[in-house]
Amino acid sequence: MSTAVLAARLREAIGAERVLTDRAQLRTYECDGLANFRVTPGVVVLAESREHVVDAVRLCAEAGVPFVARGSGTGLSGGALPVSDGVVIVLSRLRSLGPVDADNLRVVVEPGVINLWVTRDAAPHDLAYAPDPSSQQVCSIGGNVAENAGGAHCLKYGFTVNHVMGAEVVLPDGSVVHLGGTAPEHPGYDLLGAFIGSEGTLGIATSLTLRLVRVPETVQTMLVGFTSVEDAAATVSDVIAAGILPAAIEMMDALAIEAAEAAVRCGYPAGAVAVLVIELDGPQVEVAAQFAEVEGIALAQHAFEIRIAQDAAERALMWKGRKSAFAAVGRISPAYFVQDGVIPRTRLPEVLAEITRMSDAVGLRVANVFHAGDGNLHPLVLFDDAVEGQAHDAEELAGSILELCISSGGSITGEHGVGMEKRLKMAKQFTPSDLDTMQLVRCAFDPDGIANPGKVFPTPRLCGERPGPKTGVHAVQAAGLGEVF
Amino acid sequence: MLTDATTVVRPTSVDEVSQVLRAAHRDGRTVLAAGGRTKLDWAPPASVDVLIDTTGLDRIVEHTAGDLVAIAEAGVRLTSLQDQLASAGQWLALDPPEQGATLGGIVSANASGPRRLRFGTVRDLLIGVTVVLADGTVAHAGGKVVKNVAGYDLGKLYTGAHGTLGVVVSTTWRLHPVAPARRVVVLDLPDALAAGPLAVAIARSTLTPTAVELHATTGGNGSLVVVFEAIEASVHAQADAAVTLLGGGRQLDELPALFGERPGSTEDLILRLAFAPASLTAVLAALPDGTEVTASACTGVLYAALPASSAAALDALRAAIAPYDGSAVVLNAPAGLSLDHWGPVGDSLELMRRVKDRFDPERRLAPGRFVGGI
Amino acid sequence: MPEKTGALRATDQAAAEVLGARRPLDLGQGGPIAASAGSATVGAPVALGLPGIGVPLAPAFDAHHPPDAALVGDCVHCGFCLPTCPTYVLWGEEMDSPRGRIDIMKQGLDGDPLTPDAVRHLDQCLGCMACVTACPSGVQYDKLIEATNAQLERRVERPRAERLMRTAIYSLFPYPRRLAALRGPLRAYQASGLGGVLARTGLLQRLPAGLQAMEALAPRLGPVETLAERTPAQGTRRRTVGLLTGCVQGTFFPDVNAATVRVLAAEGCEVVAPKRQTCCGALSAHGGREAEAVAFAKQVIRTFEDAGVQTVVVNAAGCGSNMKEDAHQLRDEPGWAQRAAALADKVRDITEVLDELGPVAVRHPLALRVAYQDACHLAHAQGVRDQPRRLLREVPGVELAQLIEAEICCGSAGTYNLLNPEPARELGERKARAVLATGADVMVTANPGCWMQVASTLARMGERMPVAHTVQVLDASIRGLPVTQLLAAALDGPGTVMPRPTSALRP
Repeated sequence: MSTAVLAARLREAIGAERVLTDRAQLRTYECDGLANFRVTPGVVVLAESREHVVDAVRLCAEAGVPFVARGSGTGLSGGALPVSDGVVIVLSRLRSLGPVDADNLRVVVEPGVINLWVTRDAAPHDLAYAPDPSSQQVCSIGGNVAENAGGAHCLKYGFTVNHVMGAEVVLPDGSVVHLGGTAPEHPGYDLLGAFIGSEGTLGIATSLTLRLVRVPETVQTMLVGFTSVEDAAATVSDVIAAGILPAAIEMMDALAIEAAEAAVRCGYPAGAVAVLVIELDGPQVEVAAQFAEVEGIALAQHAFEIRIAQDAAERALMWKGRKSAFAAVGRISPAYFVQDGVIPRTRLPEVLAEITRMSDAVGLRVANVFHAGDGNLHPLVLFDDAVEGQAHDAEELAGSILELCISSGGSITGEHGVGMEKRLKMAKQFTPSDLDTMQLVRCAFDPDGIANPGKVFPTPRLCGERPGPKTGVHAVQAAGLGEVF
Repeated sequence: MLTDATTVVRPTSVDEVSQVLRAAHRDGRTVLAAGGRTKLDWAPPASVDVLIDTTGLDRIVEHTAGDLVAIAEAGVRLTSLQDQLASAGQWLALDPPEQGATLGGIVSANASGPRRLRFGTVRDLLIGVTVVLADGTVAHAGGKVVKNVAGYDLGKLYTGAHGTLGVVVSTTWRLHPVAPARRVVVLDLPDALAAGPLAVAIARSTLTPTAVELHATTGGNGSLVVVFEAIEASVHAQADAAVTLLGGGRQLDELPALFGERPGSTEDLILRLAFAPASLTAVLAALPDGTEVTASACTGVLYAALPASSAAALDALRAAIAPYDGSAVVLNAPAGLSLDHWGPVGDSLELMRRVKDRFDPERRLAPGRFVGGI
Repeated sequence: MPEKTGALRATDQAAAEVLGARRPLDLGQGGPIAASAGSATVGAPVALGLPGIGVPLAPAFDAHHPPDAALVGDCVHCGFCLPTCPTYVLWGEEMDSPRGRIDIMKQGLDGDPLTPDAVRHLDQCLGCMACVTACPSGVQYDKLIEATNAQLERRVERPRAERLMRTAIYSLFPYPRRLAALRGPLRAYQASGLGGVLARTGLLQRLPAGLQAMEALAPRLGPVETLAERTPAQGTRRRTVGLLTGCVQGTFFPDVNAATVRVLAAEGCEVVAPKRQTCCGALSAHGGREAEAVAFAKQVIRTFEDAGVQTVVVNAAGCGSNMKEDAHQLRDEPGWAQRAAALADKVRDITEVLDELGPVAVRHPLALRVAYQDACHLAHAQGVRDQPRRLLREVPGVELAQLIEAEICCGSAGTYNLLNPEPARELGERKARAVLATGADVMVTANPGCWMQVASTLARMGERMPVAHTVQVLDASIRGLPVTQLLAAALDGPGTVMPRPTSALRP
């Protein structure tokens, strides 16, 4: 079916003013927060209700046209990259939130609701929504669910998957199912657990039941300056080894500090080669005792400055530096790649040293901003796209860093998702059998492969195939739909 | 379920499990995996041809204390793992009541205990898993880092699947440090129903108990047990604050007897109820008077032991708790009693069937054991 | 002023037609005006506050100051601007966000024509600069949109009704004397109660939306206090300052200028208020009317060069922001640019000056709960957020209430509420609700546009709330006026909005 025919049907079903086909309008949807990949969609649908989503998905299914769901478009792995001539279903207008069910510690939200709004609405009840990706002021809950977003505080509180209790999902055939709910568990498979983090390949959530947490009695935040990255890394290890579970331990290196200072003047210690932002929360007495212990550990690891936030404003400024760091790197470099690898925390010093060696070898700067407590690295590879070949070198370097993460026993993504960007790396982290097994789930939800195709997995595969060792010609290849590369 | 015709095999490696399943696949035989056999009575399949005894998969593969991560095979008993972890001052924060359970069984049944209040359940702690599928394929998901969103999180899917999607052979866990001190507040309640509002008050307070358990008889009295496990200064301060919040209660250093145990015997109909956490009062009221219950009061999970004669009222009970997103799963049914172990599943049952069809199209793994006859 | 030629005289006629509304029904037939509010939560997407143009603009930009490709390239597409953008907040669509508008500019620079839809999305930008504050990458969206607006204003052929509207606005507001001339008829109109009659008969609703908006915005007029050209400092002179009296401020809010002079004098400033000031050019610059803006800027530079002052005090946020950026406006004429930069160094918002000087005059207590509303051109464009709050807190008894969505524009945005009345109305209601939610005694702001926008919205919603400029609160405190007097003036005094019995704008 041609795009024009599908667009006409979409207009009829959900209203002409919600269906975009003007080229200039379409092109504003051609990438998300990862601008390296751009594809102009055929149609953009601005859904305002679950029914609009259902209609759009159903019409796509009938037409055999792929669709990609999109929220705020802040993803960093190209998860919301459109499919050429496909449909982008925008969920930013599905914004209803609440009311907060304070006794059950739950709130029901639509996917376009912005992460920070949930905490804003929960705050009067002394509750909060724990997952706090750095883009929390703009990223949407639907996107968080698709990517299983993390954030600085997931060291203690876990990820999106630990805080989403229920979902209403429009499956790729347009049918609607309800997974999970308000109760802590339900009979049957944990399809919700599989759905969260599936990056839009299993369907579109139109309503989500979130778990809220009680705001702790006290929160204490310290900013610690070090003259070496090794000392900072050792401090992280020692804190964990002492049996302390901080709410967050974040690390930034000199280059990242420079960028953050340029962007938000966060007042990080001058001359620091690395800073840690360490936050403890919980009962007053517990936090006080452990905070003192952490201070002692940091001093023993040669911290040269320890600053303790005296009030909410100072605490916010410490976090502002950290949370603005990615985009702030735009101030010190014409272009950059953000990476998102994970390593076992104990491998931190050696992996950082290796990244330095690799960066020196290529001659490109790498800024490091990361969730040190989780071993979740965000190396930012800086380059100048005006210089011939630098983008390529930077991409290679970013790729090598991911492979270093895999060989260190880690993962190619801790919170940004695989998306478009890292799908080829999946084959390095997982065996063909592992990937085929994931495809079984995909095929159960989306046998025709129209939900965000081309993401997450390295090769297209038809759902008729059985997993296991493959011989002969791939069915996709045989059908002339793709080729092995 | 286990008949004279059932062949019991005890593989000692993942490869052997794969061989068994390949053979079963080839010969069209049905398979069930079991470890500590603590939950074989939970919705047992009518019969199986092959029982894979996983206790031969008994290696603790890795424990990296600095990473708070451990890898252990499915046949390792939780107690064995905890013993080893304890030497590093760590533990796997799961405390299900079934004594002798193995890790594979805990994952497959999604078993949990009182401390789920603070640490969550299997889905919150299992960071990697290896499963052998119906055709013998060995597949991994997750990894050995806590933070990892690469690919589908199939660990969640296998958790609580009761072996219907594959045989869990290896598990990787996020660990927690063992708390140095414990303080327990026990409040006796003349009326068990009073536990509901108290549980809500605790949940909305700044207290950080690791467990809040109610032991009670419906229509009668009960006791609320609030457990604090943290540093010495904290548990004392919190226990004092809890006494103030609850308006009474005595403080203990040790857990009371029966803490974390389920009520009932094999003669009883034992149910596991899950519901919106703040509806404990309503759920208690929905149960027949005189029912012995243990509830994780702040999380919305409750075990109830009813006389076998109550089986006929099971549907009515399910209907009564449905407004609270409630479900009632049968953990133990007295011999000879035929009933729907799972209850209504909702509009996702068809999708569950589709998942099962993809993983095990010939329905050879634990056939009939799961929801909707899966 | 050389521009003031026959062309403008012709448009004077148009302005008179529009404002006098002698033949209102002849106007406004140019295109459909769709309702912007679709539902309680989200507005409908085609908020056609203005009729679209007919044909794509190709090439998108001509060679005279197109948006700077290097500045466009600074955007890393992170999206942090989205939640602070008023139109994104309303419609949740990428094209109506700063990031999307930069994408549209980029398309133009890459050689794509600007489609009518693209022009509409660019037109719908309020220019509030909240995105500039929010941007971690330091994208200079202000420069980008200003360059783009100038291109559109120059090159897009707009429908007749819109042309007339624009002409009317730009031939009226920047000219204090024309505004003053309008005061008589407007006062008579207000005194006659004709507005209420029109509203009841439904005639008002048949006016084009822009005219309805203008009618609704018109503030209550009071007697004009004539400002002395030179006011001596009280006590020791600490500084000699010049005062930009402004066009709208001076005409509709003469009390604010009077209060400004009194407070400055009380704080030891000799105040010079040059007669025959022109508009600073802010409205024209904002609207992309480059030649006009340049001419006004030069005039203001001359005026204050001649005034011999250390500091030029501005009490209207939009004017201050514009004067600080005049060097950019005049970048093609290096000599003028230098003079503009020299003036910009002296320009301060009234709250900056007072905060810098520190108080010498005694503050008498005012028991007031204040909702301070950040004017976009003060907070986002000039970065002045703390000073007014500090000054207000220095008044004993003043308590500041926190506004939700404080960073979101009220919809006034220069002439935006006249050109895009539908989204402006929605934003105004959002802001009014936020202000009401604070339970404050008075809303305080630093810009006549915000004042009129919020006050008229409150009136339309049937709410009554006093509105005042920061400096009026300080003035009342220094003079030891009772709270009741301040509030009464802020409720019914000059500059406030006539209460309306019904919601005239919502059919």
